[in-house]
Amino acid sequence: MESWFQHLFLMRKPLMKALCAAGLGGLLMAGAPVALAQYADDEDELGQIISPDIERRTIKEEMIDSENFEFGAFYGLLGIEDFGTNEVVGVTMAYHITEDLFAEASYAASRLQKTSYELLSGGVQLLTDDERDLTYYNLSLGYNLFPGRIHISDKWAFNTRIYVIAGAGNTQFASKDYFTYNFGAGLRFFATDWVSFDLSMRDHVFTHELFGESKQTHNLEGRLGLSLFF
Amino acid sequence: MINAVSHSLGDFCSALRRRCCTGIGGLLFLCAGLCLGQVTWADEDPQVTVNDAYINVHNGPGRGYPVFHVVERGEVITLLKSRTDWIKIKTYRGKTGWVRRSDMQHTLGPDGQPPVFADPAREDYLTDRFELGVALGDFQGADSLTGTLGYRFTEHLTAELRVAQNTGQFSDSQILAVALLHQPFPEWRVSPFFSLGTGEIKTQPSATLVESEDRKDTLIQASLGSYIHLTGRFFMRVEYTNHMILTSRNNNEEVNEWKVGFNIFF
Repeated sequence: MESWFQHLFLMRKPLMKALCAAGLGGLLMAGAPVALAQYADDEDELGQIISPDIERRTIKEEMIDSENFEFGAFYGLLGIEDFGTNEVVGVTMAYHITEDLFAEASYAASRLQKTSYELLSGGVQLLTDDERDLTYYNLSLGYNLFPGRIHISDKWAFNTRIYVIAGAGNTQFASKDYFTYNFGAGLRFFATDWVSFDLSMRDHVFTHELFGESKQTHNLEGRLGLSLFF
Repeated sequence: MINAVSHSLGDFCSALRRRCCTGIGGLLFLCAGLCLGQVTWADEDPQVTVNDAYINVHNGPGRGYPVFHVVERGEVITLLKSRTDWIKIKTYRGKTGWVRRSDMQHTLGPDGQPPVFADPAREDYLTDRFELGVALGDFQGADSLTGTLGYRFTEHLTAELRVAQNTGQFSDSQILAVALLHQPFPEWRVSPFFSLGTGEIKTQPSATLVESEDRKDTLIQASLGSYIHLTGRFFMRVEYTNHMILTSRNNNEEVNEWKVGFNIFF
């Protein structure tokens, strides 16, 4: 339909013009070369209109920016059994595999306080100063459970997600590594598509023998993070 | 009077909020720009024309986010970016939202053909070159955590870099190894593999033991296992590995390890 229209209007007009010009030229011989030149010009113009210089490209997936990686940092409180609750700072990297599943690697550092025994007994020191530095890393798999929206006013609405996460890693303190499982859940709040705030809880479970006998500890962490999607 | 006060307070709050948001947004944007330097506007985002009665537009990249808009046949939409199985689009009126990647089959590109997008359900992961994996295991009583990075030369042959940390009651150890992995039937849903590798193991006996000297030994790994295709590019991997530790003592040490983990191809 479109091409027929094009044909009718774009073809006919210059053609008519040319014919008129040629007719006039026939009458007035002096005008003929001018008319022919104009005809040639019109032909050029026509060529441009009919076959515009547009790249007819096929759209492929690579042409769209994909945002499946997420980098973030967090700050929170980590309670290590017998060693008090302490500030913890860490970084995370996540890869979103499907809309439900994501894999996350995280690394964090904290510092331990003295145990009650050390405080009460006076001079006793169970750990040296360096041994009180705690770091952990873990690799986890998360599952997005409930998509949602938070409405802050009639103008502002933000997407949210509640997720659960579990994984394993190592916790290092007292110059030893402790194999650690982690379980947790969190609420992710998307300020935009690519900036999200993360309010979450983790339970780090490991077994140590610092006090003589083997003891499994649950170490809870609450944290607030900010992450960007790339 | 009270009404007026609350009104003006409300106005003030909303203005403040707006300012805060743009401020924070601007700052973050700047940070991101500085960090990455890959925010490009130069390339025009591709456009497609809807070629179905309608396509649902969700307000987030997930099936649970509600449909707030539809784009109709003949409407030109701009494809902004993708996340997992969703694509962010912009309508000609400037509305932005998310459509399923599979809905791209119901659109036409400038060449009159639907865009060439892999079907997420039957994604051709065999064309992906890289592989990232994590595995948990039992390293003769110690808990092991292994991370792997693989590069696939062909569909059958993969080179792998392995980093492992084993945490045990009597000693801890770290392994750094390279391996070659062969999959005879890569297209099978449950695809067996075997691999041979070599590397180094660093062992630190617990401080409480008498002979607490760190050791570094060469190690040879032979593994047998299987990939199990879960979804898209996501696999489960189960594996048995026999580690032969070539010690400087009289006897070599042999350790058997069972591992289960997850791998992603990309």
